[in-house]
Amino acid sequence: MSCTIELEKGVIDTDLCTNCGACTNLCPYLISFKGRVIRVFNCETENGRCHAFCPRINVDSESLRDDFFDKEIYVPEIGPFYGLYLTRATDTGLRSNSQHGGTTTALLELALKEGFIDSAVLTQSTGGLEPQTIIATRPEDIRNCQGSSFQIPPTLAGLNEALKGEAYKKIGVVGTPCKTLAVYKMIKKLATDDEHGMDKIGMVFGLFCGWGLDWLGLDDLVKRHTTVNKLKQMDILPSSFGVMELKTEDGLIEIPLDEIYPIIKESCKYCTDFTAEFSDISIGGARSSAGWKVDQGWNQLIVRTEKGKELLEIARAKGVLEFKDMEPYNLDKLKKASMNKKRTGLKNLIEKTGNKSDLMYLSPNDPVIKGILNSAPFK
Amino acid sequence: MNEKRILLMGNEAIARGALEGGVSYSTGYPGNPSSEIIETMFSFKDKHEISVEWSVNEIVALEAAAAFSFAGLHAMVAMKQNGINVCSDFLTTVALDDLKGGLLLVVCDDPGPLTSSNEEDSRHFAKIAQVPLLEPSTPQEAKEMAKWLLNFSKQMGIPCILRSVSRLSHGRSGVTLDSIERPKAEPFFDRDKPLVGLPHLVTINHGKLLQKMEKVQQIFEQSPFNQYEGPDDARLIIMTTGLGFLYAREAVETLSLTDTVGILKIGTTWPLPAGLLQKYLKQADEVLFVEEIDPFLEDQVKVLYAETNGEMGAVKFYGKKSGDVQGPGGPGVGEINGDVVLDALTKILQRERPWSKDYAQKAAAHAEKMLVPRELSFCQGCPHRASFLAIKVALDLDGRQGFVVGDIGCYGLAAGATGFNQIKALHCMGSGMGNASGFSKLKSFGFNQPAVAVAGDSTFYHSCIPALVNAQANKADALFVVLDNSVTAMTGFQLNPASCGVAASDLINPIPVEELTRGLGIKTAVLDPVEDIGKAKETVYNFLQEDGVKVIVFRHVCATFKKKKIKDGQRSSARVDQEKCLGEQCGCDRFCVRIINCPAIQYDSPKAKAYIEEDICNGCSMCLQLCPQKAIMLVDTATGEVVK
Ligand SMILES: Cc1cc2nc3c(=O)[nH]c(=O)nc-3n(C[C@H](O)[C@H](O)[C@H](O)COP(=O)(O)OP(=O)(O)OC[C@H]3O[C@@H](n4cnc5c(N)ncnc54)[C@H](O)[C@@H]3O)c2cc1C
Repeated sequence: MSCTIELEKGVIDTDLCTNCGACTNLCPYLISFKGRVIRVFNCETENGRCHAFCPRINVDSESLRDDFFDKEIYVPEIGPFYGLYLTRATDTGLRSNSQHGGTTTALLELALKEGFIDSAVLTQSTGGLEPQTIIATRPEDIRNCQGSSFQIPPTLAGLNEALKGEAYKKIGVVGTPCKTLAVYKMIKKLATDDEHGMDKIGMVFGLFCGWGLDWLGLDDLVKRHTTVNKLKQMDILPSSFGVMELKTEDGLIEIPLDEIYPIIKESCKYCTDFTAEFSDISIGGARSSAGWKVDQGWNQLIVRTEKGKELLEIARAKGVLEFKDMEPYNLDKLKKASMNKKRTGLKNLIEKTGNKSDLMYLSPNDPVIKGILNSAPFK
Repeated sequence: MNEKRILLMGNEAIARGALEGGVSYSTGYPGNPSSEIIETMFSFKDKHEISVEWSVNEIVALEAAAAFSFAGLHAMVAMKQNGINVCSDFLTTVALDDLKGGLLLVVCDDPGPLTSSNEEDSRHFAKIAQVPLLEPSTPQEAKEMAKWLLNFSKQMGIPCILRSVSRLSHGRSGVTLDSIERPKAEPFFDRDKPLVGLPHLVTINHGKLLQKMEKVQQIFEQSPFNQYEGPDDARLIIMTTGLGFLYAREAVETLSLTDTVGILKIGTTWPLPAGLLQKYLKQADEVLFVEEIDPFLEDQVKVLYAETNGEMGAVKFYGKKSGDVQGPGGPGVGEINGDVVLDALTKILQRERPWSKDYAQKAAAHAEKMLVPRELSFCQGCPHRASFLAIKVALDLDGRQGFVVGDIGCYGLAAGATGFNQIKALHCMGSGMGNASGFSKLKSFGFNQPAVAVAGDSTFYHSCIPALVNAQANKADALFVVLDNSVTAMTGFQLNPASCGVAASDLINPIPVEELTRGLGIKTAVLDPVEDIGKAKETVYNFLQEDGVKVIVFRHVCATFKKKKIKDGQRSSARVDQEKCLGEQCGCDRFCVRIINCPAIQYDSPKAKAYIEEDICNGCSMCLQLCPQKAIMLVDTATGEVVK
C-alpha cells in the first residue's frame, strides 16, 4: 500500500491525525487545510517520509527517547527532566502580548541572538484564529507570533519547507507535544537518509498541551460570541474554572467549558503527552497551590537537555527571564496532571480498539505504558 | 457542365447535394458525425451566395431554416442524432404546415458511438412527425438524395429527413457531380396563408399531412432509391437500408450466393413502399433484415406482413429480433458490418464460414501489439486540465464528498484519469446544471454532498441557460462552472457566442457568459484557471461554501485551437531544469508525469528525470506551478530564452 493511503486509512480516517503537518509539504499528495490533513491523488511510494515522520504511526517512545535523551534523568510521568522552573519574560512589553509569561518568546529571541538557532518555525494567528506557519528569522518576526492558537496549525509543514535547500542550518521549532514528537522522528529519519539532515534542527521548544480544538468548531464558537476582528487572544483556564476566555476589544468574554468540550479535536483524545516530553525545553502556564490567579502571567518550564540547560542559564545570567521560587506542590501537581492525560489517552485508545494490547500508534511494550496498564483502573 | 467525378466524404457529398438542389440557407449545431456538412457549406458560402451559420442549438437551427422555407426558399439543417431530440418539438409542429420552400433535416447517427452519449436511431422521428425519411448507402446516393429531397419537400410541402450514419458520413468514395442550381424564387412571406398551430386547426392539418404522406408513399413505390438485385426467384431475400446494403452485398458475394439470395435495398425508409415490400414478401420464404441501429425496417415490414392477413404465405423472419443479426454488443447494439451478415447467412443456410469466427479478434489482438498504448487524454496545454485539478482539490478540501455532474464536450473526458476522474454523471447537453439544481433540493432529505455542474461555452449557450434560470428562480444552491475556451472545440473549433480574442470573427457578436449570468442576478467570478491554479482552487472552494446559485467562468482559449490559429507566431514551451528535477529522490512520485499527465510531459527512466517534449508543448505553463521543486520553466522556443 502506498504511504499516503496508509496514512489516510490508519491515521486520518481513524481520527488519530493531529494536523501537525509533518507529512505535508513533502509531496503534492497530502495537504493540510483548516485543521485537517487531506489526501489528494495517490502516490505510489511505499516508504515515504510522510509515514516515517507521522507522530501517530509506529511510535516507539522508548527507543526514540534513548536516542536523544539521557536515560538517567527520565521521570515516567513527565519525561526527561533536569528541572522545573517558574519563569516569565523580564520585558513587560513582551509579556503583555504573550500567552502567559512570555517565556517562550523571550527564549526564542535569546536563542536566535546567541546562535542556538538561525530561524524558528512558529505559529502566527489572529487572536488565536487562522493560524499560519511562519519561518521567523528576526526578533520582530518572533514577536509577531506571540499567543496560543487552539486551532491546530500544521506547523511542521513549515519545518519541512525550512528543511529544503540550504537557507537554514539551525532551525528552532515551537510545538505542542504531537509536533515535537514528530520533530524527533524527523530528525531520526533524516539522520538515516542524509547525514546533514539532523544538524539542521537547532532547538525544540515544547508547549504543554491539554488538547486542541476543532478548527471549524472554534470558528463557529467565536462567531457566536463576538466578531472575529475584535478578538485579541484566547485562553482555556484550568478545568476547575470551567471557562474559556476570549479577550476582545470590548473586554473579556467567558465561555462555559460545556460549549468547548464538544469541539475538542478528536485526535487529542488519544494523546498521552501533556508536557511535550520530546523537546529541549517545554513550557506551559503556571499553577500555584494558592490558586491559578496567583501565578497567572507566569510560566512553568521543564528543562530536558544540556542545550536547554545552557540556554536557560544564559537567560538567567542576562536577565532575560525572571525566576520565581517554587514549592514541591508544583512538580507533584504537574506529574499528576501529566499522568492523568496518559491514563485518559490510553483509556480512549483501548475503548476505540476494544483491545488492551492494540494501542494503535503506541507500543504496549513501552515500560511506562505497561506500568500504567498494569495498575488501576486498567488492571 | 462536363461530368465530373471526385472523391468526397459522405458529409461533403450531402453538402454538395444541397448546393446542387438550390439551397439558400444552411445551419446546424456541430456534433460528430455531422459537423462537416455545415463546414462544407461554409466553403460554398461566398461563391454561391448561400447563407450559412452555426446556430446555438438544433431547435433554433430548424426554426431559422423553416423561415426560409416559409418564404419560399430551400433550407437545410444538419445535426447529430441527439440534435433531433432537441428540435423535435418544432419538427412535429412544422410538419403540419404547408411549406413553400424545401426544408431538409439531415441527421447523422452514431451507432457504436464514437463520440456520443447515446446510440439513438433517429429514424423513429420520421414516424413520430409523419415526415418522409431517406437513407443513403453511398456518398453518391447521399448527394442525390439531399438534392432530390430539397425539391421533393417543396413539392409536397412537408419537411424531409435524410439519415446518415458515421461510416457513411465519414467514408469517402467517388461522387459524380451535377450542375448547381440557383434558386429563382424571390423570398416572400404570404400573410394570407398564416402558419398557425392553434388546436382547432391541428386536426385539419394533421389530416392533410396524412393524406400527403399517402401520396408520398405512392411516389416511393416507384423510387429509384429502392432497388432489388439478385435472382427473380430468390427464396431468401435480404431487406436492408443504408450501409446494411453494402454489408449484405459483401456477405452475399463472399459466400458466392448472388445466384440464390436476393437483396432488396430500401432507400425510402419512411413511409415504406408497402407494395414493393409485399411483392418480395410474397416471393420469399425467408427474409433477413440488415440495418443499423434498431429493427426499424424489420418491425414495420412485420406490421405490413400482418396487415395482409396471410396473403403473403409463410415467411420466416431473421434479424435483430431473432438474434441472427448482432455484433459483439448484442442485437440492436453497436455497429454491424459484413461479418455480422456473413454470420447470419451461414447460420440460416447452415454453411461453413469461409474463415474462422475469431479472425477479427485475432487480427485486433495482433494489431494491438503494434500500437503504443494511449489513454484518452486532454490535449497538451488544455485548460480543462487546470480547471478539473482546481475543482478536484477544492472538493477534496471541502470534504463533503462532492462530485461533478458533467455535460457534453471535450471535458467529458474528465470522467477519466486525464480529468482526475471528476465527472460522475454525464448525459445530454445542458443536463449537468439541471442535475446540480436538483441535487441541491435533496438538502431537505438530509443530503449534504455538493454537486458542481460543468459545461463548456458552447454547451452553455446550447442548453444550460434554461437550467440556470430554473435554478436561480427556484432558489437552488448550486455551483456551475463554465469551461470557456472560446470555441466549440470537440467538434472542430466552430465559432459560438463565446468566441472572442484569438477566436474573434466577423461572423460572431460575442456574448460573454458572465454578462448573462450577472444579468440573472447570479454571483459570478471570471478567471483563468491555467494562469493561477491556486486562485482557481480557492474560488471553487469559497463558492462551495456559499448558498444560492453561483457561477465560475474559467476562461482560457483552447490550446489546440490557438496553436492552429497562430501557426508561425512566437511559441513557448516548458522545459525541465535537469539539475533541479530530483526525479525519484523528490518525494513527488513523478507528479508531473503521473498526475498532471500532460502528453508533453515525459519521463526519462534511465536518467530518472522528467522532461518536456518541446515540439508538442503548448506553453500553457500549468506545470510550472505544480512542480514541487520549481524545476520547470517556460522558454521561448526560437531564442531559448527563459520567459517564466
Ligand atoms: C493547543 C494548545 C493547548 C495548550 N494547552 C495547555 C495546557 O493545557 N496547559 C498549559 O499549561 N499550557 C497549555 N498550552 C501552552 C500555553 O498556551 C502557552 O503556549 C505556554 O504557556 C507558553 O506561553 P508563553 O507566554 O511563553 O507563550 P508566547 O510567548 O505567547 O509564545 C507562544 C508560542 O507558541 C507558538 N504557538 C502558538 N500556538 C501554537 C500551536 N497551536 N502550535 C504550535 N505552536 C504554537 C507561537 O508560535 C509562539 O511562539 C497550550 C498551548 C496550545 C497551543
